[in-house]
Amino acid sequence: MRTDSKESFKDWVIRAWPLFPAALYLFGFLIIVFVYLACLSLSETSITTSFPTLNSFKELFNDDEFHSALVNTIVFTVIGTPLELIAGLIFAMLVYRTFFMRGLIRSIFLIPLAIPALVTAMLLFVLFDYPGGHVNHLLLGNYSIFPAVIDTPIGWRSSNLFAMGISLLGKIWRDMPISMLILLAGLNSIDPELFDAAKTMGASLRKRFSSIIIPLILPSIASVLLLRSVEMWKEFIFPFVLSGRNRLMGTLIDYYYNGLGNSHMAAAVAIIMVVCIVVSTIIILKSMEIIQNILYKR
Amino acid sequence: MSQIDRKLPMAVGKKVIWGSGILLAVFIVLGPVYLLIKYSISDVSSINTGGEPIPLWPYHPTLSIYSYLFSDIRFYRVLMNSIIIALSSVGLSMLLGVPAAYILGTYRIPGRKTILLGIISVRLFPDIASVIPIVQLFINLGVHQTYLGVIMAHTLLALPYVIFIGIGAFESIPKDLEQQAWVMGADRFQTFVKILFPLAIPGLAAAAIYTFLLSWDEFIFAYFLSLGREDIFTLTLYLNGIKYAEPQNLLSAISVCLSLPVIIFTLMVQRYMVAGVTTGSMK
Repeated sequence: MRTDSKESFKDWVIRAWPLFPAALYLFGFLIIVFVYLACLSLSETSITTSFPTLNSFKELFNDDEFHSALVNTIVFTVIGTPLELIAGLIFAMLVYRTFFMRGLIRSIFLIPLAIPALVTAMLLFVLFDYPGGHVNHLLLGNYSIFPAVIDTPIGWRSSNLFAMGISLLGKIWRDMPISMLILLAGLNSIDPELFDAAKTMGASLRKRFSSIIIPLILPSIASVLLLRSVEMWKEFIFPFVLSGRNRLMGTLIDYYYNGLGNSHMAAAVAIIMVVCIVVSTIIILKSMEIIQNILYKR
Repeated sequence: MSQIDRKLPMAVGKKVIWGSGILLAVFIVLGPVYLLIKYSISDVSSINTGGEPIPLWPYHPTLSIYSYLFSDIRFYRVLMNSIIIALSSVGLSMLLGVPAAYILGTYRIPGRKTILLGIISVRLFPDIASVIPIVQLFINLGVHQTYLGVIMAHTLLALPYVIFIGIGAFESIPKDLEQQAWVMGADRFQTFVKILFPLAIPGLAAAAIYTFLLSWDEFIFAYFLSLGREDIFTLTLYLNGIKYAEPQNLLSAISVCLSLPVIIFTLMVQRYMVAGVTTGSMK
């Protein structure tokens, strides 16, 4: 099709009108979401205070629930994002170096993605049940294949540490294929000749991994870290099902909104979550830049 | 690596390590799936073992929980709700998304890049953060706690994917075909309906399946929008709602029913999914 940059606005409208309903739908909602979020978080339930007020945020920062949710979410993200990268890298390397039934193995590794997150959470809910449950039975030494590690069953969902742990476990298991696919695409784009050359020159496997594979798939690593960290910040379903009253920011929004009926504080948490995502994205981008400089200089 | 290893076979020791790595990985991926199926065919004595370790294979495997499930009127109701909402979301998002994908995939209109970037950024906004404003909006519009509200929300989530998969489908059609149709005197609408749309159907079908699955296992919007109205609960909400009350084999059987269509369809649209993940439009 001919594209004339000087075509009139009217021509453009005539040509592009089928685009408008979808654009209106998406961007309309986007604007409404921003406006509502700002209005809700900057107002209060009591009608005595005037409109732009930071009281919801003040109230939030005085709330212990928010403190623990913020700390939990930060820990969840800081531990979970690298773990997802490592899990994805291991599975991607396994597929990459397999030549026997490669397609089948890749399809098998995609299965967690095909299981709804709620189902994964529900399975962990059943497995980590208290006081029964497979995992408690296993750790109590009830199966002959595994030694007894604990004397009394663990209440997984009521302990903050374990609740976060099993939420993280579910999250990583279920989302591993996404990291794997991104990293696999990066691996497949490496020219095999490079390995040939490196091997002829006597580079060890570890050397080849650290000086060829990692630097060349650095863009894939960066996109895994970026996408996965966003997912970690906003995680909802696993802690919602698995961690009871040990909350992340995602489940705190549900608690404030549906539990306490306070839409203002819920909106304030949502805003803080978005700020966290923006800040962490900038940090990851900057540090990837620095790592890239170091790797390419060497 | 691939080339050289094909020529020089790996040492036996390495091969063993590699093979066991693959086996372990397959075990990690399939183990939970096995456990889910095992729980769903367990009889009561294999779940409430009274101190005995829970068996790795049920004492008396039985499908009775499935026949109980399929005779339960509540299950049919939530199943119908899920199907109604998912199919309507497919309809609405295709209605909005296909024309947009046609324009963005066929014409190089000015502002195309900005629009694509905007569509991606809509999807990157966390859904748990946008759910509060949308619920408030839907309360004002009077579609809170209705099918329509959930359908509109699911359409919002699916539309960026539909547009992106659709763009790919329309871009893959040779430009000559359209021009020939024009030369033969077809107008734009006829060209779209008779030439472009039929050729784009495989890609658009993938988009439709993807939308169906997204709505089928969506939780956050369905939960916030239909809380307090159990008669419009979808399957996911129903499963979550009964998790403390019902026995584990029932939870597992519902989980299997919830997963089956997703597994089947995901394997069908795997090609599109892989492409979507690697271009960053899917997550």
